[in-house]
Amino acid sequence: MLLIDHYAYVNRLSRVHPAEKIILALATLLQCLLSSSPVTPLLAALLMAGLVIAPAKIPPAYYARLMLVPAAFLLPGALAVAVCTVEDIQSLLWGVQLGGRAAGVTAGSLAAAAAVLLKSLGAVSCLYFLVLTTPVADVCAVLGRLGLPALLLEIMTMMYRFIFVLLATARRIYTAQASRLGYSRVKSSFYSLGRLATGLFTKSLYHSEMLYLSLSARCYAGKIAAPPVSRPLSARNMALIAAVQLALLAAALWPGGAGR
Amino acid sequence: MTGEPILRAEELVFSYPDGTRALNGISLSVPRGKKTAFLGPNGAGKTTLFLHFNGLLRPQSGCVYWSGRRVRYDRSSLMTLRQNVGVVFQDPDTQLFSANVRQEISFGPCNLGWPAAKVQEQVDRAMAAVDILHLQDKPTHFLSLGQKKRVAIAAVLAMQPRVLVCDEPTAWLDAAHAAAMMDLLDRQTRDGVTVIFSTHDVDLAYSRADYVFVMKDGKLAGEGHPADIFLNDGLLARADLAQPQLVEIYRDLVEKGWLPPGRPPRTKQELLERIPPRGGRRCSK
Repeated sequence: MLLIDHYAYVNRLSRVHPAEKIILALATLLQCLLSSSPVTPLLAALLMAGLVIAPAKIPPAYYARLMLVPAAFLLPGALAVAVCTVEDIQSLLWGVQLGGRAAGVTAGSLAAAAAVLLKSLGAVSCLYFLVLTTPVADVCAVLGRLGLPALLLEIMTMMYRFIFVLLATARRIYTAQASRLGYSRVKSSFYSLGRLATGLFTKSLYHSEMLYLSLSARCYAGKIAAPPVSRPLSARNMALIAAVQLALLAAALWPGGAGR
Repeated sequence: MTGEPILRAEELVFSYPDGTRALNGISLSVPRGKKTAFLGPNGAGKTTLFLHFNGLLRPQSGCVYWSGRRVRYDRSSLMTLRQNVGVVFQDPDTQLFSANVRQEISFGPCNLGWPAAKVQEQVDRAMAAVDILHLQDKPTHFLSLGQKKRVAIAAVLAMQPRVLVCDEPTAWLDAAHAAAMMDLLDRQTRDGVTVIFSTHDVDLAYSRADYVFVMKDGKLAGEGHPADIFLNDGLLARADLAQPQLVEIYRDLVEKGWLPPGRPPRTKQELLERIPPRGGRRCSK
């Protein structure tokens, strides 16, 4: 999770206008979800993997590891879709008899499972592209431009920032405990973990008080104004994005109009 | 001390809810346009006093004066006071909350309701002043402690304060970074900003401060020019302060007849220049 955030700042696409990346990711995501052709999500996944690895220069091995995370819940999910129960075992490609019914996979259920798997993979790829190439501050700035309420944006920004403070604090407490043998035995591990949780809670309270003080010191009046992004959109990138979207659409409709 | 003091405290008393009496009737006047150090053991009340300087804490009795006017605690008075008196906290992690450096520094100026162009201009100026322009798009959790401290100072400088109050600006910094931090504060003083800082480093306070306050148990134990404060053995003992190394070495050299008595040197360089070469003219007592 922290490494994702790290790459968001150091990747080669981080200086590209955030709105362009958001438009590309969301438009492709939409196509994935709306298209009934399995080609669209497949192409989307390949496109995003290509963008993340080639222009953004994220290490392929890291990207592959990231893709394994959704696989952990996609595969069981697809399995559940693939397996169905029928009355007659003859209609199954493969199956077992369970009393009066049979459970197994049919050609239809396999296709449905593959579609779900591909669709999710495509959608996840789009979101990965966005989070790997776009710093949170940029995303918030664009959302602000789009008229998302300032309150929500402030909460987003603060949560983002304090996730890191919280993790750093937890790590410090953990190190302090471990260096005094807090995790040497099972019993002491449970005890230490409990103390870590309470310690984090009280430290968070203290932190929030101090933060309020320091905000007040800078004339906080209940509103955190974000400075506007003043970069212009690149016409070339926008044209590329439009071309990619049209190509995806064409690919989905090509084999005799699979329909949308 | 020339002119009217920029900040004045009169008989300030403040106790925390747990009963700790942090300020115990302290009165003092901070000279305008200088670099003033606050020294004193932990728990002497330095931070509590600083939080009174821009109205973050309200004294239970006594009052604070800003530029000769008594501080009032209504919203608009506090806004004016907090723009003019900027407080930088000791731990930058309690102060930095934004997703990136530029946003963090824009926070104060935006609160002042300045037009966008002025905000940008002041943010750039503040970043240039503490030399962090190259960090402006970085998230704050990427920064080293020294960088975070600079960002915290820039976040206050961008509001164009006339007083910069820094709580232990050199705490947790290595010697080189601490010296750079003091140079940064020196530049602010040259630009006409009154700088107030607390420290436990007597050598630093001795060679870098224009004026020194010594606090102990929520009261003022002494004040004056650094050379006077650090020659006052009684005061140093009362406040648990060590003598600066330069002063100690200088006094020893005087006592042993290597140097003539006089005002102790402020810097190491000054001391080295005063020590005569071997075989040269030796001063008689």
